[in-house]
Amino acid sequence: MHPRLERQLLLTRRQLFGRTAGGIGAAALATLFAEDLKAEGGLPGLPHFAPKAKRMIYLFQSGAPSQIDLFDYKPRLAELRASELPDSVRKGQRLTGMTATQTSFPVAPSIFKFAQHGNSGAWVSDLMPHTAKIADDLCFIKSMNTEAINHDPAITFFQTGAQLAGRPSIGSWLSYGLGSENKDLPAFVVLISQGSNGGDQPLYDRLWASGFLPTRYQGVKLRSTGDPVLFLSNPPGYSATDRRRFIDDLAQLNQIELEELADPEISTRISQYEMAYRMQTSVPELTDLSKEPERVFDLYGPDSRKPGTFAANCLLARRLAERGVRFVQLFHRGWDQHNNLPKGIRGQSADTDQPSAALIQDLKERGLLDDTVVVWGGEFGRTVYCQGKLTADDYGRDHHPRCFTIWIAGAGVKGGVTYGETDDFCYNITADPVHVHDLHATLLHLLGIDHTRLTFQYQGRHFRLTDIAGKVVRPVLA
Amino acid sequence: MRGVLPLLAVLLAVEPALSQTVEFNRDIRPILSDKCFTCHGPAESTRTTKLRFDVETAAKADLGGRFAIVPGDAARSEMVRRISSDNPAVRMPPASSGAAKLSDREIGLLRGWIEQGAKWEGHWAFVAPRRPPLPAVRDRNWPRNEMDYLVLARLEREGLAPAREAARETLIRRVTLDLTGLPPTLPEIDAFLQDSSPDAYEKVVDRLLRSPRYGERMAIRWLDAARYADTNGYQTDAERYMWRWRDWVIGAFNRNLPFNQFTIEQLAGDLLPNPTLEQRIATGFNRNHRGNGEGGIIPEEYAAEYPADRTETTGTVWLGLTIGCARCHDHKYDPVPQRDFYRMYAYFNNIPDRGRYNKYGNTPPMIPAPTPEQQAKLAVLEGRATAAGQRFTALEPELQQAQTAWEKSRDATPEAGWSVSRDLLTRFPLDNKEFDGTRFFDAGKVADFGFYEKFTLAAWIYPTAATGAIVTRTLDTAEGHGYHFVLKDGRVQLNLVQRWLDDALRVETARALELNRWHHVAATYDGSRESGGIRIYVDGDPQKLTVLLDELNQPFRSAEPLRIGGGGGMENRFHGRLDEVRIYSAVLTAEEARIVAERTAIAEIAALPVERRTAAQSAKLRLYFLENRAPDPIRQAWKELVDARRERDQFRDQIPTVMVMEEMQPPRDTFVLIRGAYDRPGEKVTPGVPSFLPPLPAGAPNNRLGFAKWLVDPANPLTARVIVNRFWQMYFGAGLVRTVEDFGAQGDRPASVELLDWLATEFAGSGWDMKALQKTIVMSATYRQSSRLRPELAERDPENRLLARGPRVRLPAEMVRDQALAMSGLLVEKLGGPSVKPYQPPGLWKELAGGEDYRPDHGENLYRRSLYTYWKRASPPPFMANFDAGGRETCVVRETRTNTPLQALNLMNDVTYLEAARQLAERMMKEGGATPAERLNFAFRVATARRPRPAELRILSETFARHRDLYQTDRPAAATFLSQGESPRDPALNVSELAAYSAVAGLILNLDEVVTKE
Repeated sequence: MHPRLERQLLLTRRQLFGRTAGGIGAAALATLFAEDLKAEGGLPGLPHFAPKAKRMIYLFQSGAPSQIDLFDYKPRLAELRASELPDSVRKGQRLTGMTATQTSFPVAPSIFKFAQHGNSGAWVSDLMPHTAKIADDLCFIKSMNTEAINHDPAITFFQTGAQLAGRPSIGSWLSYGLGSENKDLPAFVVLISQGSNGGDQPLYDRLWASGFLPTRYQGVKLRSTGDPVLFLSNPPGYSATDRRRFIDDLAQLNQIELEELADPEISTRISQYEMAYRMQTSVPELTDLSKEPERVFDLYGPDSRKPGTFAANCLLARRLAERGVRFVQLFHRGWDQHNNLPKGIRGQSADTDQPSAALIQDLKERGLLDDTVVVWGGEFGRTVYCQGKLTADDYGRDHHPRCFTIWIAGAGVKGGVTYGETDDFCYNITADPVHVHDLHATLLHLLGIDHTRLTFQYQGRHFRLTDIAGKVVRPVLA
Repeated sequence: MRGVLPLLAVLLAVEPALSQTVEFNRDIRPILSDKCFTCHGPAESTRTTKLRFDVETAAKADLGGRFAIVPGDAARSEMVRRISSDNPAVRMPPASSGAAKLSDREIGLLRGWIEQGAKWEGHWAFVAPRRPPLPAVRDRNWPRNEMDYLVLARLEREGLAPAREAARETLIRRVTLDLTGLPPTLPEIDAFLQDSSPDAYEKVVDRLLRSPRYGERMAIRWLDAARYADTNGYQTDAERYMWRWRDWVIGAFNRNLPFNQFTIEQLAGDLLPNPTLEQRIATGFNRNHRGNGEGGIIPEEYAAEYPADRTETTGTVWLGLTIGCARCHDHKYDPVPQRDFYRMYAYFNNIPDRGRYNKYGNTPPMIPAPTPEQQAKLAVLEGRATAAGQRFTALEPELQQAQTAWEKSRDATPEAGWSVSRDLLTRFPLDNKEFDGTRFFDAGKVADFGFYEKFTLAAWIYPTAATGAIVTRTLDTAEGHGYHFVLKDGRVQLNLVQRWLDDALRVETARALELNRWHHVAATYDGSRESGGIRIYVDGDPQKLTVLLDELNQPFRSAEPLRIGGGGGMENRFHGRLDEVRIYSAVLTAEEARIVAERTAIAEIAALPVERRTAAQSAKLRLYFLENRAPDPIRQAWKELVDARRERDQFRDQIPTVMVMEEMQPPRDTFVLIRGAYDRPGEKVTPGVPSFLPPLPAGAPNNRLGFAKWLVDPANPLTARVIVNRFWQMYFGAGLVRTVEDFGAQGDRPASVELLDWLATEFAGSGWDMKALQKTIVMSATYRQSSRLRPELAERDPENRLLARGPRVRLPAEMVRDQALAMSGLLVEKLGGPSVKPYQPPGLWKELAGGEDYRPDHGENLYRRSLYTYWKRASPPPFMANFDAGGRETCVVRETRTNTPLQALNLMNDVTYLEAARQLAERMMKEGGATPAERLNFAFRVATARRPRPAELRILSETFARHRDLYQTDRPAAATFLSQGESPRDPALNVSELAAYSAVAGLILNLDEVVTKE
């Protein structure tokens, strides 16, 4: 968008949210757009077409889960165990600096048992029993691929469509394009959890930053310790009543200034303090799980009672979805199993399997899955060949960007479908590749956005989430 | 969102009406660039036909009997037919391009322009600025300097009047915030209000420009542009040390280094003749980019990333060009072919840095960068060491005499095993212990070295096999984590391993040892993490080394015990005999290494005639004598010398380093990278400036230095404009060119090119005098206007492009916090130094990455100016992120401002502001007078520079009274409320009253007016 238009839109919005009369035109505008006061609107012309989904929940599995051990069943590998990965499969493809100097690339089949599940007969390993039960609701994409081979650039790519930091994250694009549906909560909320067995891949605030979009579109992190939103609570010795009076006094004083200077920015400030006050109530109400019935905790598993776990965050994600928050993103750390994969992946699966499946089920029961799309996946896959020593019950896997599995579910997505195929080594894609840009294009499509038309002009260029690529993966659409 | 479009139409009314003359640069080029250039522009790869609209001749060329543009005849112009057609097969731009049909207004402009003769102009920003003649104005009294004539002439053309001058209180607060980033103090405000002399304002401006706070304020935005941070970015995002560069910037602003010199020193200070330390530190500018130390990266990929970042940053900061667009293909809008990007990149591609940066700390090239204080102290310590050396040398004749006398006397039999003992951590005599290749000696958990620590490992070895461990602290499996000093195929080898192979260091002697005889071997490591920091000695002689791996990046400290003769697996056991293992927690000098390797006992050496002693024997005897037998004055002098050297060396180790630019010899080749991919080199290119801009100035070398000189050469059309535009943004919240990062075809065109050009020529003409430029701007009548938004301006010019009012801008993040500290009296005005860690809610680092959490400092570091706040890229300080600071990942020059609830929460509940309010309340009670009204008036003036209006004072008074009542009945709540922050509370003050004043002070700190520059 041209900066001039952008500025004008901002002005318009600010005037929209001006609570008070007195500023020039503000009163008239406020009346004119009274209906819009209930939430912040998106861009004019958006959505581009009738959306299938109103919101998205993205369960990001940071560190890169091994598709070979979870979803992409490769029975032939058993007989090839410990044999050298053929050059005809590897095709001289680049490896990370960690294994590029390895002299041998022995094939390491998964030690986990696979079975087919549901009417769709989707293959899921015994690491994910709960996910297996909802297989008919899920669309597995086995042919995901990315360009990045290391964590930081790969996560950044998934989040922003570019490997190097600096562009807006997907949630920022959505909140910029579609606006918010809740006047008391931010449009883009982030929740973080640690893998139960450690894991050393860090996250970065910039993964939910707004890049060159205005910072109002950045993700707001909902924390499990301290204030759920930074600086949310009043200081000790200062009550909610005091704060209410404070907001009123401040509004009065700012109103005097507004009358003097007529800057619409002042009325925006007044309304932002109102919103801050509302958040002081709405956020604790949101994070207070005490009124959730027992069976809900049973559904999400015992971890759901522990704040800051992936399970608790899944439950919060449902509550956020109920409240119309546009984009909820969970990050679960700890999937980087270069060695001791069997132990590590057992822990990670235990953390995430039941709550992820519970979320789908819970959304479904409440009818929310009809207008919510859910995504589960990491930043790349893992190699079929062993990193480090291959033993009877232990192995490790390096980063593998050429193919990996994610699942998506919910509004507008075909359930009980497996899309894309990989070769017998789970090394190359043999049918229907889905690039990160394609996934982005598809997710935007579900939200009623033509990915080529959601742009922002910066440095002279019309930037988009999908850069200059991306095509909607129509076969996965319902 | 319903209803927005009609409003936009109203807002767009400021656009020129069609009845006016259509101007190519103002009206036409933006349409061509945005809608046509993708296929008909400078980029060869995407140009689909001969027809292009970025070059006049091509745009008007004969296309086989048809013409896209026929000047003066819109009807015959194919362009007009195509853009106005309703037939999708004919219409341009084509639907397939994704671009919408041109608007009626755009079509009208193009048609009008062709009708009016299709006059072409070069892109305004690519033509050197000319100083405009001063226009005639009707109101001759208004302008205060030449700049004002240009502003006023435009306003008069538009039929608008400038605003009246802002109130004096507003003015002094505005200019003080703008020039120092801090609010004026009450005495400063009063002095100005009472000064009725005509140059009262100018005196204030001059005072502010002399303040050291000026350099800090100016540095803030430069740090954003330079992507300065305290961490390396990327995965681990560990600490780096660039604050010496940051302090150089502050100093350069304060001493008013001319901008041309400021440029040359930062881009190429190292290439100046005999560069000073400061000039080399300045080159840190282009080492501030992120550096990737993640395990497993492909170094070549990032080796291409760093010069690209330097090129893009330099292009943005000085040229206002989006040159990075030409990294993968020819620029779509501006005349920058891809080749030109890589020619400019070549200037920055000749730095001897590696693709994988150190994960922790700085990455070479780097230099020790002592502060002036440290330089002075170092000089003293050097002087002391030299003097001690001289005193000791002067004693040489006596020493010689005394030693000879002692040797003759044979007064005692010294212990046979004597050797160098300084910094000896542990020794194992072993007594020629036999190792049969199956066993090792477990020496326990000693000699636990980290990768920043210095050490020396030494041993006598009698190898009977060519491979075997000597001394290790590592797993007992091959190539494990830890250090291993081993014999490998007869060569002496030191390994420092975090993870084999990509995070490890291995060096070995070039020559193999002779087996089946005794050798002394020693290795020293200086804590530098590099192969260059390792020496290996065999039989006391330094060895030529082969570097087999130099990729150490993370700590190699091991939980395994120290093993002698083993470690690293069964196949790595020592065969033969080992004796006298000595481990030092220091780097032994070559002479000391030679002494350690000298086996002859002291008594035996002393018995040898002097001429038959080897150099090593003489050195050993001399050291023994000095340490043990020399007469007191000589021993004393020796001890003083040793101590003085040690003190100097220890001090040197604390000196900060800074990453700098250096040139490689021979130069590294640069290639065009096809589609920007690091592994697809195309044509080889030489360094060069963008071909559409003037060439290098005559006589300038074709290297970074020549390039820097070219940037600030008078012929360069961009630099001066781009820089004055950014300064303008600092004052008015937006540049004259709104797209401060893009002066190209897609950029914004200033409302007044003349004003920009006047400022640019004034700036360059003044000898690039930065303070003079600030003074010109803040002295102008334009700047001094009231910022009140008059009704007619809200409609006509909501963005203040015409400058019919003064700036009104929310303060940047740094200033919001700094002014609260200043008003409360907490601010510690100390210039420079390592970054500091003020309050931050706990857990922010840990929840992202595990590991160590942010640990706030204590004491004065809590109250330093925000530009000194530790900036972790993965987790920027929350108050910065909340108030729209750039992310410091890449170069950011555009200031943005939003208005969010998170800002409100931050100001209401962050301990920083609660503590500032409490301290301001103390000031109210101590300095603000006796009555509540006086005290409220005091605080309001401290915060806004003006007195409260009666209505305002009434609200404040009611708030105060309400809280006083509340806290009088609930004194524990008052005490709790006052417990925020580390600074002590004055126990003499009444708790309830102080709490009530704190509550009002908090209210004042949250006022829109307080966080806004009026």
